[in-house]
Amino acid sequence: MISLHRRGFLAGTALAAASPGLAHAQARKILVITSNQDVPNFDPHVATGYSSAALLRNVYDSLLRVEGSPVAVVPHLATAWTVSPDGMEYVFTLNPAAKFHSGGVLTSADVVYSFRRLMRLGKGNAWMLAGIVDDGSTTAVDAHTVKVKLLKPFVAFPQVLPWVWIVSGEQVEANKGADDGQSYLKSNVAGSGAFRIRRNEPGTLYEFERVAGGWKQGGGNLTGAIWRIVRETSSQRLALQRGEAHIAVDLTSEDMDALAGKPGIVSVIEPEFRTFSIKMNTEFGPLADINLRRAVSYAFNYQGMLDSAGYAQLMVGPLPTGIFGQDPTLDVPHTNLVTAREWMAKSKTPQGGFKLTACYVAGLEQERRFALVLLDSLKQLNIELEIKAMVWPDAVASTARPSTTPDFFPVYQTANYGDPDNIAFAAYHSSRNGNWQNPVFHSATVDDLIMKARAETDVEKRRALYLAFQKQVVADAPDLFGVLEKRKLALRSEVKGFVFTPVASNAIELFPLSLA
Amino acid sequence: MAAPVPGWRRMWGRFRRSTPAVIGLAIALVLLFVALFGRVIAPYPGDIAGSVATAVRFRPPSMVHWFGTNELGQDVFSLVLAGARVSLLSGLAVVVLGSLVGTLVGAIAGFIGGLVDEVLMRVTDLMLTLPSLILAMAVAAALGPGIGNMIIAISVSWWPGFARLVRGEVLARREAQFVEAARAVGAGPMRVLLAHILPNIMSAVMVKMSLDMGFAILTVASLGFVGIGVSPPTPEWGAQLAVSRGFLPDDWWTAIFPGLAIVLAVLACNLLGDGLRDMLDPRAQR
Amino acid sequence: MLRFTLRRLVLLVPVLLGLSLIVFGIARLLPGDPVTLAAGPQATRAEIASLSHELGMDRPLPEQYFTYLRGLVVGDWGQSILTRRPVWQDLRVYLPATLELVVAPMGLAIVIGIPAGLLAAVGRDRWPDHLTRSVSLGAISVPRFFLGLLFQLVFAMWLGWLPLGGRFPIIEDPPSFVTGFLVIDSLIARDGTALLLSLQHLALPAITMCLSPLATIMRMMRASTLEVLQQDYVKTARALGLKPGLILFKYVLKNALSSSLTVIGLYVGWLLGGTVLVETVFDWPGIGLYATKAILTQDFMPVMGVTLAIGVIFVLSNLVTDLLYGWINPMARVE
Repeated sequence: MISLHRRGFLAGTALAAASPGLAHAQARKILVITSNQDVPNFDPHVATGYSSAALLRNVYDSLLRVEGSPVAVVPHLATAWTVSPDGMEYVFTLNPAAKFHSGGVLTSADVVYSFRRLMRLGKGNAWMLAGIVDDGSTTAVDAHTVKVKLLKPFVAFPQVLPWVWIVSGEQVEANKGADDGQSYLKSNVAGSGAFRIRRNEPGTLYEFERVAGGWKQGGGNLTGAIWRIVRETSSQRLALQRGEAHIAVDLTSEDMDALAGKPGIVSVIEPEFRTFSIKMNTEFGPLADINLRRAVSYAFNYQGMLDSAGYAQLMVGPLPTGIFGQDPTLDVPHTNLVTAREWMAKSKTPQGGFKLTACYVAGLEQERRFALVLLDSLKQLNIELEIKAMVWPDAVASTARPSTTPDFFPVYQTANYGDPDNIAFAAYHSSRNGNWQNPVFHSATVDDLIMKARAETDVEKRRALYLAFQKQVVADAPDLFGVLEKRKLALRSEVKGFVFTPVASNAIELFPLSLA
Repeated sequence: MAAPVPGWRRMWGRFRRSTPAVIGLAIALVLLFVALFGRVIAPYPGDIAGSVATAVRFRPPSMVHWFGTNELGQDVFSLVLAGARVSLLSGLAVVVLGSLVGTLVGAIAGFIGGLVDEVLMRVTDLMLTLPSLILAMAVAAALGPGIGNMIIAISVSWWPGFARLVRGEVLARREAQFVEAARAVGAGPMRVLLAHILPNIMSAVMVKMSLDMGFAILTVASLGFVGIGVSPPTPEWGAQLAVSRGFLPDDWWTAIFPGLAIVLAVLACNLLGDGLRDMLDPRAQR
Repeated sequence: MLRFTLRRLVLLVPVLLGLSLIVFGIARLLPGDPVTLAAGPQATRAEIASLSHELGMDRPLPEQYFTYLRGLVVGDWGQSILTRRPVWQDLRVYLPATLELVVAPMGLAIVIGIPAGLLAAVGRDRWPDHLTRSVSLGAISVPRFFLGLLFQLVFAMWLGWLPLGGRFPIIEDPPSFVTGFLVIDSLIARDGTALLLSLQHLALPAITMCLSPLATIMRMMRASTLEVLQQDYVKTARALGLKPGLILFKYVLKNALSSSLTVIGLYVGWLLGGTVLVETVFDWPGIGLYATKAILTQDFMPVMGVTLAIGVIFVLSNLVTDLLYGWINPMARVE
């Protein structure tokens, strides 16, 4: 096999004369990351998904960035910022050294341009700021000072900023086309990040190259990196073992077990704010009956789910354990067939004898297993389950209307910012109905609590609002609260400078990393 | 002139002389038995219907679990037994559907001739140039999961082979003496086709059906392997292999046994098909 | 010969037209609404309509077909709805990878199959014969994806002799893109290391793919050689105590040539369409994986492009083999 080391052996012995190009390759410090997710789009204001995030956070910069565990928001493009006492106005001072790959200086005009473009397009991460900023909110005070006036208070505002990427207004305008530069930015970069794209082979690999003379000094010794698409997680694991890759980001629990104790491998198994729950169709079909939902919640085999998830912990209610405001003592359903049958008896369909549907995203092995655990559990209530594998676009499309949403819809929700607002708003606010994160559930009480908590600046009052929110959601029983899967990464020991951050940790930040 | 139909006894004699054919028949009978009664004889019938036992995940083969257990603690032996039904049934359905459509198209083209023949055969030829697996994948994905849709999707690219075969046979028979004789005594065209031509080409169609069966089973497993086909918990060998390849090399039993089952089924069909061809159509050369 | 060639070339036109019509027809007959999918979950009705207009999908079907046809001729094979990249450009990158998986196994099959078939005929009903027969049977009974997995398990995972998948080591730059065939591009770049590396990556997928054509070519060689051995003049030559070697050699050569041609004609299309499974197993970035991804996202322009490309290559390879047949055997020129 050709490992990184064996490669030199091959070049040296099998063929005496290695070409100068390959000798050069050996001198470079190139980190290889394997992932099973392609990067369909480079547009920082359109793309979603962790693979896109991985690309964007290395080629673009944001006002602030996240660091460490527990997560801290630290200066990046903005060297300092102030907040007005009412939490409505933020003023950021930009680093005057910051410049784009094109050589142009990054100014407040670019920041204003980027915020406006994000909100104008309304795609990508725009939902994080929906209703918080609009077209006129961001203004340039001078070349290196930006003022953001919020439409309403939003405590988590700084936590969102690491995911708002700044583009070069000039470069995008020059390639604007008819679609606001979307065609251009789809495969071109107008950023200021420490890296740029060197090779772009869709579906296969994306190669990064450290920008010579970039504005950020220091960092690790990488001269480049490769985001390599390896579809099978077992292949990722084996590539890592043989030294063909340095970091694998999509490993399963089984892969982690197989890697345990292997020389030269560092396993990272850390809790992360990523929830998995099975949404029930509270609007259409038999599960619109709250008593049936409760019966299902008590019949579900939580231990079976946990076993098949491997490195994970069961969720307690709607919010991830450990996040601000989460109530570890919340009274949530546990497997109890007696209680389940009691609720079943109170439902409109006490005898069961019907069939429900569950979908899972084709290729997501873990979701498939959970669906099978659900099927097994529902037998106890004399309910059949039809399991449908759906490709992601179909699954998303099915959530557009209650009548097309499956009875059970599984959702992984990754927190982009370490604030309960992220999950609460995205997964339970009625404005997200018709969207995969919250297809159907709506409750005026819950909406009210979310919006109040979002704007509340007093810490204790805010905590109380979230406690009330969790109680209300449990009472409405819209979800089978599932598991928090631990983040499973594996690195080769020659990778230095890696610090785990429980936010978007599979979107590897290259800047601090080195290869020994 | 059609070959005189030999007696069953003589045909069986010819079949029996071929050891591979007999072995194929034996395996095929075992598989048929498993397909019919697999759910009854399986040691863990609950697992076939989707029961999980997450406390005993990834157990290696033992006396309790002959083929070990999988990622959900299900008995791999039971699942492999149950997988026979989907594979054999869909393989058979594809071949039957493909031969029905193909025979219809081929018979019409060969019997009517002229422009109809020209158009039908050009379409058939074009279909034969298209990549059948990719076509089946595209159609199956568009129709959605389910055994029925999968069978339809595969049949879309299956009929042209039969159409060509049947057309050729019909053309050869159309002017044969016994057909001429039937016409002379006043038989209408439909009657000539149905009563005199089709029965005489059935043996050729049967031979192709039996030879195609193995390939049809393989195609079904291929669709399962690329993730298009039946939905869980229906046990299907290709889909089992697709999931469990992720557990190689450590938990090899989850992948090896479904794979071997496919090999066995396809092998049996091929041996049997060869034997049947020699039996029904002795003129065909090896 | 020239007239024969020209006639075949002219006949190609309606075939290619029909092919494009059939592919277009199948794509449009299938259920599914790619535009709505591409527009995304938040898209409004107006946005979907505008995207549909932009992609020309609101026109009548015949008009859409003629637009598509015109594009095919000038090298505009439509674009992927999801990535917005031109299909032609993608095919240019992925097709050579797949063709490697067709040409290399074909070469292997011919190089191994002809001597093996010959041996089987000469050693009829002895072990070489049994061996080749078993290989033939195995070749059609073992699914390629399972065989590929077994090869991976043994040669990549257990023994560690060959790479698990991919076309080239990830951290190395492949030789610069000229033909897209890594083996050829390595030769053009005079880069011996790159050549060795591409061959190592090609080995397992190529062996996996070669078994079916190998089985066919062995059977054909065996049968045709047996026929030659039965010929009267060979028997006579033997009876006279002459060495039949020279006669045999001449006929065997001719048989080898024609059976190779037949197998190429038979298998180019089959292998092209069949690489998808092997590409899945070995993570080989060819049109099979490209099509699979497009199928799973219901992005039908790439699927049409791949299907059409395979069809066209199949038709062309048939044409070339027919012409070569005609060249070897003038009798075949008569229709």
